[in-house]
Amino acid sequence: MHIPDGYLSPSTCAVLYGTSVPFWYIALRRVKKFLATRLVPLLSVVAALAFVIMMFNLPLPGGTTGHAVGVAIATIILGPWASILAISTALLIQAIFFGDGGITTLGANCFNMAIVGSLTAYAVYRVVAGHAPLTSSRRVVAAALAGYTAINAAAFCAAVEFGIQPLFFTDPNGAPLYAPYALSIAIPAMMIGHLTFAGLAELVLSAGVVAYFQRTNPSLLKLTAPGALPADEAMRPVPSQSTWSTVRPLGTALALLLVLTPLGILAAGTAWGEWNARDFFNPQAREKIAAASGNIAPPVQAPRGLERLYSVWTAPFPQYTPAFVRRPAVGYALSAMFGSGIIILVFLIAGSLAFRRRRQPSSAGSNVTATGDPTPIPTSRDPALPKGEG
Amino acid sequence: MNFVERTLAGFVNAMERALYAEELAKADGLLQRLDPRIKVIGILALVVAAAMAHKLWVIGAVFAIALILAVYSRVSPAILAKRVWLPVLLFTGIIALPAPLVISGREVWRLPWLDWPLTAQGLASASCLVTRVETAATLSVLLVLCTPWSRVLKALRVLGVPVVFVVILGMAYRYIFLLLESAHDMLESRRSRMVGELEGPERRRVAAASVGVLISKTLQMSGDVYGAMLARGFRGEVYVLDDFKTATLDWIMLTVFVALASGAFYCGR
Amino acid sequence: MPVPVFDVREVTFRYHQLTALDRLNLAIEPGKRVALLGANGSGKSTLLRILDGLVFPEKGLVTFCGESLTAERLQDPDFTYEFRRRVGLVFQNPDTQLFSPTVFDEVAFGPLQLQWPKEKIRAQVEQMLEVMKITHLKDRSPHHLSTGEKKHVTLASVLVLDPEVLLLDEPTAALDPKSASQMIDFLIGLRGGAKTVVTTTHDLDIVEDVADHCFIFQTGRVVAEGAPADLLRETSLLEQTNLVHAHRHVHTSGETHSHPHLHSHQH
Repeated sequence: MHIPDGYLSPSTCAVLYGTSVPFWYIALRRVKKFLATRLVPLLSVVAALAFVIMMFNLPLPGGTTGHAVGVAIATIILGPWASILAISTALLIQAIFFGDGGITTLGANCFNMAIVGSLTAYAVYRVVAGHAPLTSSRRVVAAALAGYTAINAAAFCAAVEFGIQPLFFTDPNGAPLYAPYALSIAIPAMMIGHLTFAGLAELVLSAGVVAYFQRTNPSLLKLTAPGALPADEAMRPVPSQSTWSTVRPLGTALALLLVLTPLGILAAGTAWGEWNARDFFNPQAREKIAAASGNIAPPVQAPRGLERLYSVWTAPFPQYTPAFVRRPAVGYALSAMFGSGIIILVFLIAGSLAFRRRRQPSSAGSNVTATGDPTPIPTSRDPALPKGEG
Repeated sequence: MNFVERTLAGFVNAMERALYAEELAKADGLLQRLDPRIKVIGILALVVAAAMAHKLWVIGAVFAIALILAVYSRVSPAILAKRVWLPVLLFTGIIALPAPLVISGREVWRLPWLDWPLTAQGLASASCLVTRVETAATLSVLLVLCTPWSRVLKALRVLGVPVVFVVILGMAYRYIFLLLESAHDMLESRRSRMVGELEGPERRRVAAASVGVLISKTLQMSGDVYGAMLARGFRGEVYVLDDFKTATLDWIMLTVFVALASGAFYCGR
Repeated sequence: MPVPVFDVREVTFRYHQLTALDRLNLAIEPGKRVALLGANGSGKSTLLRILDGLVFPEKGLVTFCGESLTAERLQDPDFTYEFRRRVGLVFQNPDTQLFSPTVFDEVAFGPLQLQWPKEKIRAQVEQMLEVMKITHLKDRSPHHLSTGEKKHVTLASVLVLDPEVLLLDEPTAALDPKSASQMIDFLIGLRGGAKTVVTTTHDLDIVEDVADHCFIFQTGRVVAEGAPADLLRETSLLEQTNLVHAHRHVHTSGETHSHPHLHSHQH
């Protein structure tokens, strides 16, 4: 999952750095607002924690062991934005210091694992956990699914990044320059491993840790469980919800569908490559491509691979590509679907964060803190209370 | 070996690695003598040049440059072979292995018995990938082996990394070792109490509980660290002390790095 | 009578349901070396954090040189700047307060936060490393230091600001005998200086070395105060506050001692 240097072309890396920057920026602003002066110590320590968790060898069903990224558990305890920052920082240290994952591909790794991972984990956890009480077993299931889905979503992104390399980057003889396998090979190869094996490590970790905190310190799960019912009220009928909370699961499902459908079709064929080489010189088409790629301007020169590929475009994987996908309009539509899905997801997450903040003051009022700011991260003890005292 | 032992071995390995890097960073070699900013820019330029090159011989040449830098910086090829080349070969080599069979192109040879064709394009692609990955990994390992981590961090600022991240990275790195030690002690004591093999679900419960304990401890520690920072005048803004000095050698080497990288870029197009 | 450095009036502090300090009263005179004695959980470390303005009492008032020490007061940047420059706290656990990548950076952290000129910071840090005899550790990472070295670095990182008031939380805890005696020598050296020193400890052996006046704590209250020599004679008081327990011991010579002899109990 940690993509090393050399697997992705520099332009792919640049695009993924570019995509990650706004997420980092938003995450930093949001987290800073919550944490105020606590940002630096908390984020540092939590990033160190994420790093150490990545080193844990987890026993998996079937007697094997594996490593998890810890992105779902970080999201459940810290919220998606702090998780993005903590996991990204841990990945940077892994890349620079321990050579695990490349430097040029750091943007890609952060995008896949920290950003896509955290946001997917958050969406899945919130939808599946619903308003279940903090100690409900439904939350364990939600955490398990969140971990499993997040890691597979991250693996899928990595697979797509690998798979588009031979489309765009080949030498004059047609030999791929970077990751050599097309989407039709890259996606199954990555996904089989993650769906069966690597995903389980994340599943075991997030479910196990949530179950552990339910027994020892359920308040640590409060942050991402805004409407959680108190345990004794769980049996009573659910009180009428605001429109927002009934719409939210539907909206999330829709957004996931929007995101996953184009990716699914992309998996079967190669819809993304529908742009032809001449489009790169046509200003109108360039705009369309930019819009379809999430407003990232395409390179002014057509990728060399694409230029050559243009002539033989209909041939590469005829057996995998449904005929209708080969029409450019469909490609744009699918990309637009993907884009709007992402946007809806972002709004849903932002909305539920705002929702949570409105509810926050009543629960945080009793905390005595040094600066008087609310404590969004539920530390188990007061910040400056000495060990062994209290 | 069970999961506890594997995790412990991983921890020890990480700590040893860090210790080795710190020792080597003190040695008197070419890279060690350079200003960290020059090193970060120079090595990164070479990594990017290797990543951009479209010709195998150019990537090979960058690899040769990395090798020369290593020798002049007292990093023995044996260490590089053990820590970089072999692991990369095992990982990327296996990934690249099917490429000659899978990628379509001009057939150069057929596997006996199986009668599968090997293609020139596939072979070129596989060797290109492996060389590129080896080269980039060698260069980035050189940067870390020849520069104390605290200096690498401060040098990241020349790449536009904000000060707050530089401070966070420094603190995170420092606490990684504290947490590694704490997790290590926890697992050791757990191992000493474990009699016989646990059942699967029980094993997973133990592993999750260990991580849980670590998370609780860490969150609590973050509060203590915050208090300690406040006590010494921290008010939310961070400041760092730059202590960089450039000498003639730095400027010479910067020129060399830039010349080599642009040469590789030009030839590799 | 001079204005006390710290005046603590009727201070109550609770952590969740646990009462750490219970209507506590005490005053600390400038230039005095004071020890806060008490078993674990007696509230003395909580008091140090309150004196350092890290947590604030639920009820009661704390003043620093006549100015009240409240969360609102510490929102004022000028006051915080002055307060942090004048008061230094060395925590019990060196690991939580050594957060910088190297020893040099660690000692320079405080001066950097107070935004001294860079040249002055470099000179002061070098000098402080010299004084604490830790110059050779300058470029080391904190995780490669021994506990004794870590304690010296934490002390240096606070002393570099040359605070008038030094708050020390269990300075000899977890130190091996040699490092502990080095630490005590250092604290003895502060005698007769201009600094006010407040030390918490449950180690009776060091009290006379580090303090001219001491307070004995039990369950969040001061149960006795006075000169160390006087208080250490009150065996029943010390036993009642769990600072000692009677136990037999054999000297290295093999002889058994017959005169009454008290030892602190180290955990």
